[in-house]
Amino acid sequence: MPGRAEGGKLRVHRLAALLLATGFAFPAFAQEATPPELTDANVGAVMAQAVDDVIRPGYRAFHASAGALAKATAAFCKAPSEDSRKVLDAAFRQAVTDWGRIEIVRIGPVLDDNRFERILFYPDRKSTGLKQVQALLQQPDEADTDPANMAGKSVAIQGFGALEFVLYGTGSETLMSAPESFRCRYGAAIATHIETTAGQLAAAWDAPDGAQRDWKHPGPQNPVFRTGKEAMTALLGILVHGAEAVRDQRIETFYRNGGTARPKSAVFWRSGNTWTSIDANFEGLQTLFDKSGIAEFVDPGHTSLSGNVDFVLTALRNVVRTADPDIEKAVTTPAEQQKIAFLLVNTRDLIVSLNGDFGGAIGLGAGFSFADGD
Amino acid sequence: MRTAATASALLDRRAFLRMAGAAWLATLGPRAAFALARADAVFASGCMDHAGRFAIAVLSEDGTVIDRTPLPARSHGMAYSLATNHLVAFARRPGTFALVIDRSGKTAPVTIAAAEDRHFFGHGCFSPDGRLLYASENDFDANRGVIGLYDARDGYRRIGEYSTYGIGTHDLSVSDDGRLLIAANGGIETHPDFGRTKLNLHHMEPSLALIDAATGGLVQRHALPEKLRQLSTRHVDLDEKGRIWFACQYEGPRNDLPPLVGHFAKGEDLTFLSLPEETTIGLANYVGAIAVNRREGLVGLTSPNGGRFVVLDAESGRVLREEDVPDAAGIAAAPHGFAVSSYEGRFAGRRADVAWDQHIAGLAPPR
Repeated sequence: MPGRAEGGKLRVHRLAALLLATGFAFPAFAQEATPPELTDANVGAVMAQAVDDVIRPGYRAFHASAGALAKATAAFCKAPSEDSRKVLDAAFRQAVTDWGRIEIVRIGPVLDDNRFERILFYPDRKSTGLKQVQALLQQPDEADTDPANMAGKSVAIQGFGALEFVLYGTGSETLMSAPESFRCRYGAAIATHIETTAGQLAAAWDAPDGAQRDWKHPGPQNPVFRTGKEAMTALLGILVHGAEAVRDQRIETFYRNGGTARPKSAVFWRSGNTWTSIDANFEGLQTLFDKSGIAEFVDPGHTSLSGNVDFVLTALRNVVRTADPDIEKAVTTPAEQQKIAFLLVNTRDLIVSLNGDFGGAIGLGAGFSFADGD
Repeated sequence: MRTAATASALLDRRAFLRMAGAAWLATLGPRAAFALARADAVFASGCMDHAGRFAIAVLSEDGTVIDRTPLPARSHGMAYSLATNHLVAFARRPGTFALVIDRSGKTAPVTIAAAEDRHFFGHGCFSPDGRLLYASENDFDANRGVIGLYDARDGYRRIGEYSTYGIGTHDLSVSDDGRLLIAANGGIETHPDFGRTKLNLHHMEPSLALIDAATGGLVQRHALPEKLRQLSTRHVDLDEKGRIWFACQYEGPRNDLPPLVGHFAKGEDLTFLSLPEETTIGLANYVGAIAVNRREGLVGLTSPNGGRFVVLDAESGRVLREEDVPDAAGIAAAPHGFAVSSYEGRFAGRRADVAWDQHIAGLAPPR
């Protein structure tokens, strides 16, 4: 549809011009802003909002949608039909969305016991996971349909990637032909295992003496954050690393400006949920930025810094939502390529702004705020 | 961090100017040339400007930026050869490039691309004669550290690799006689598919290894004891006696007070320094860089997390000086004490309009 493509092109150009006009890329006044004093009280309040209003609800929502996905998969297996399939597709999309919103949190309990990789083993550059799932399907073993056995197996066969192949990959058309097929029951086991892992995450954050206590009360005896500044650095780190992950691990895995496109390397390309997932990532970042109140630390005279972050996140989401879910087409159509280029350029600016002037304006020092392992 | 420069004879300002070459000097503006003319030492450091552009900068002793060479992405450590006047900036891990700059301007910069299935891991060093470049690298599929060997006389062609006998290799140095390579195996597993996420914090394997530079054979390896298995051994430097000083970053509970610095030598066990509690707290369980001032017998430490700069007496291990330096980044030996930089742009007391990255290389040793 040339008209639509042309419209998309114009929209992207208009947005790019608008972003330029706002002077989004590194306004030079951050150093002039008076950074706030980070106290136990004001840091504790922001951390509490981040935990109670964003992170905990995020994991609980993911747990709920993972539960709905497990139910929908089991119901579809029991009675495959157009209707049960529609319910399953919707449940899959919702679970991908809810995970996408909270997967930006790459710190805390999700790193324990390889939970992150158990939920989503991606990217799978060498098709390790795909080969394992294909081998498993070719040599049916009833043990693989028991969710209780999942935790002891390779992370590559127990998360969204494996489930997506089962439901949308080569051979998935056979799911409609007979109830309770091995393939379907293996898929149901994966979905149940995702629900279990999601439940563990929600519980780890909801426990009064667990992660939330450590995050809300930095101090000398705290095993996670000794000072308020460390806690704030971690919170800003979620935003910066989350934006980096969208660009480096979600978009550039299948498309680089001037590079070779690899549409079949895109996350959730089989189910057409690539942009659903990426939009959810941006939404998660925006929700954390807005609801945590981290922007309240910015000097009142320089609130445009926060406005710019919000503005760019909104612009990114607006473009993502118009991107073609057919990734093969998205990487070969000029108008669609422009959208992806827009996303790459502006996620970079988002990272620079958060890590630079915004970090400086909230008292964390502009520049390399994250001494994360070097 | 260590450069071949510190292992060589003292170099005065005139010698540096002679080696730097007229071509390079001609590129300097009047202010920069003035700064260089009165400099007693020069340094290099990675940096990022306000537009998010990365570069490697050369500075005078007082922190004046003399020139900048653009980089395609963020760098980390550097290696410098006094013998060839080549400076190398290594990409931040997991990196795919290293940029070689001929400071004499005789040859064009060389970009080394990471080998198939290997990534640069932030540091490296030259053999004393400058003929070989050793790079800290990672073999992700096998989850093991390797040392990439590059022939400086053949366009930095990769001619082989050695094992580091550990995982998560970060800093890499060489003994003064060039016979031993020293690998700081931080012990943390990462994979490019998961960015910089630490994948094995509950079963880390930190170690320090001495490797035969001629054969790649293991000479000596020190795995950290079980109670310190979350103590990542990340940076090293050598003192006048050839002792290897190492600095650590602790991945365990934040309210622990682990030892953060120590030393060892060939044939010796590891010795951890017992720093005062307030010093350990000040360093925030995270030493970002270490440097030895051989002439003055000092060991310097910086911690960006703690915003602290600490000077130790190399002989006694006693703390001589502690100073608050917000976002303290790199450190290198200076004519007197150390040059210290910060993420917020401070370098030896001067403020530049860039964020300095984690390390400083000395391009000429203190007189």
